[in-house]
Amino acid sequence: MEEPIISIRDVHKYFRDDIQALRGVSLDVYKGEVIMIIGPSGSGKSTLLRSINNLEQIDFGDIIVDGHSVNNHKDINALRMEVGMVFQQFNLFPHLTVLDNVMLAQKIVRKRGEKEAYETAMLLLEKVGIPEKASAFPLQLSGGQQQRVAIARALAMNPKIMLFDEPTSALDPEMIQEVLEVMIQLAKEGMTMVVVSHEMGFARAAANRCILMDSGKIIEEAPNDELFTNPKEERTKLFLSRIL
Amino acid sequence: MQSKNIKKNTTNSWIDKNLPQVGELSRIDAWWGLVIIVLLLIILLVTLVPQPFSRILNYVSDGVIITLVVTLTSFILTMILGLLCGLGRVSKNKLIYGVVSVYVEVVRGIPLLVQLMVWYFAFPAIIINLGKTLNYEPFETYLANPIMMAIIGISICYAAYMAEIVRAGIEALPAGQMEAARSLGMTQPQAMRYIILPQAYRTIMPAIGNEFITLLKDSSLVSVVAVADLTRRGREFMSTTFLPIETWLMVALIYLLMTLIAARIVKLLENKTKLEK
Ligand SMILES: Nc1ncnc2c1ncn2[C@@H]1O[C@H](COP(=O)(O)OP(=O)(O)OP(=O)(O)O)[C@@H](O)[C@H]1O
Ligand SMILES: [Mg+2]
Repeated sequence: MEEPIISIRDVHKYFRDDIQALRGVSLDVYKGEVIMIIGPSGSGKSTLLRSINNLEQIDFGDIIVDGHSVNNHKDINALRMEVGMVFQQFNLFPHLTVLDNVMLAQKIVRKRGEKEAYETAMLLLEKVGIPEKASAFPLQLSGGQQQRVAIARALAMNPKIMLFDEPTSALDPEMIQEVLEVMIQLAKEGMTMVVVSHEMGFARAAANRCILMDSGKIIEEAPNDELFTNPKEERTKLFLSRIL
Repeated sequence: MQSKNIKKNTTNSWIDKNLPQVGELSRIDAWWGLVIIVLLLIILLVTLVPQPFSRILNYVSDGVIITLVVTLTSFILTMILGLLCGLGRVSKNKLIYGVVSVYVEVVRGIPLLVQLMVWYFAFPAIIINLGKTLNYEPFETYLANPIMMAIIGISICYAAYMAEIVRAGIEALPAGQMEAARSLGMTQPQAMRYIILPQAYRTIMPAIGNEFITLLKDSSLVSVVAVADLTRRGREFMSTTFLPIETWLMVALIYLLMTLIAARIVKLLENKTKLEK
């Protein structure tokens, strides 16, 4: 089999010396795979995701993303260029228009010219379905629209991998679908994705593998949406009974 | 004499509470009204009672220029140094953070007037002594320029306060802003420049404005270290004419006019940054 595009090897992470958020997590993600991570609050899902692009620095082990190790600090910005991230709270830049949100990093990180950055941005805004909001400011948009802009902003860097940390948890129910549709479309186009989310609909439509985490460890892993439909571990069953 | 420690509360409450805010009066702005009243008062005094008011105004007018020069130059330097030190206060580099923190704490613990004395009297003495031990001619004959020393003294003092304002402005932003910027591959300086500072600027703009007005008033302290500013010129006039009431009425009115105009400009800038949003 080919090399994994993300290789997570026995990763440990502590907060303030006493909280162990990750206790030896290992996971390989292959190109084009869509991995979904579920688990109770505080189980380390966000920490794992944020370790992949080094927003959290791991204390032990290694994560290699497309040849870049998170332990090589000189290489971090190169690594981050390959990894797009979408946050629960959108984190759009409120002082910039939607268009500038999507163009800024293209210009200053990817060093693209104004015209190329603009065309890429408009193409992506069309893709996520809100080209007409290009000149609006983020706070003038609904949550669902903001999250779609955030996806466009991440995609504008042409990442090889997209990370999603509970992208629909902060949304009103009627807006969840519009964001999931964009994500499902992205999965169909072959994007490698690691998604922390409890949306079973997304698992059914797009996941190649689902993983259950609890207290900093991977408890169970199953192909497609079988983790939801046919859980093996007691802890998985217990967790699913609470959220479903 | 006003000390740097008590001025904080007095200025803020004075500006925030006692004077009308924008929008309270729809057409005529009461603040400009106040400016005009003070201006009229000065003009009336000067034209109707030229003896001594016209003489006072003439006498202290070069002091007004000096006050404005000291205030504006110090403020520009304060902004630059304050921004750099503010960034130092949020730096992850322990050395930078440590050095800047010591500077901020030390400077904020010493009255501005004492700092001005240090710069004008003690600092040159150190240089001269150093020149003598090293036998270095230019140091031995070093002569402090009062205005320059005053500007250095004010800037170094005010920058410490400005650093804290900048730090608070940066820390008030949600951590997600920096994370989003970094996750897009921006370096720390890029994220600061394009994402963090433009947003922090909006929140700290009112505080910067207050600092400017306080600095304008505190600039009167430089009269003690041989700078011929408005206050010092007033004192000189009084000691030659023995007209304390008229002299200090005039000086007070000129300061009031300047601070009122400054407060007005600050408010306009504030509203402009708000509207952009
Ligand atoms: N910055 C931090 N400082 C201290 N502790 C932290 C920090 N971030 C996370 N933790 C702790 O690490 C553990 C894992 O947190 P993490 O955010 O990864 O959980 P999660 O699975 O994403 O939970 P949730 O579903 O609530 O988002 C928790 O115990 C949490 O309290
Ligand atoms: Mg989380």
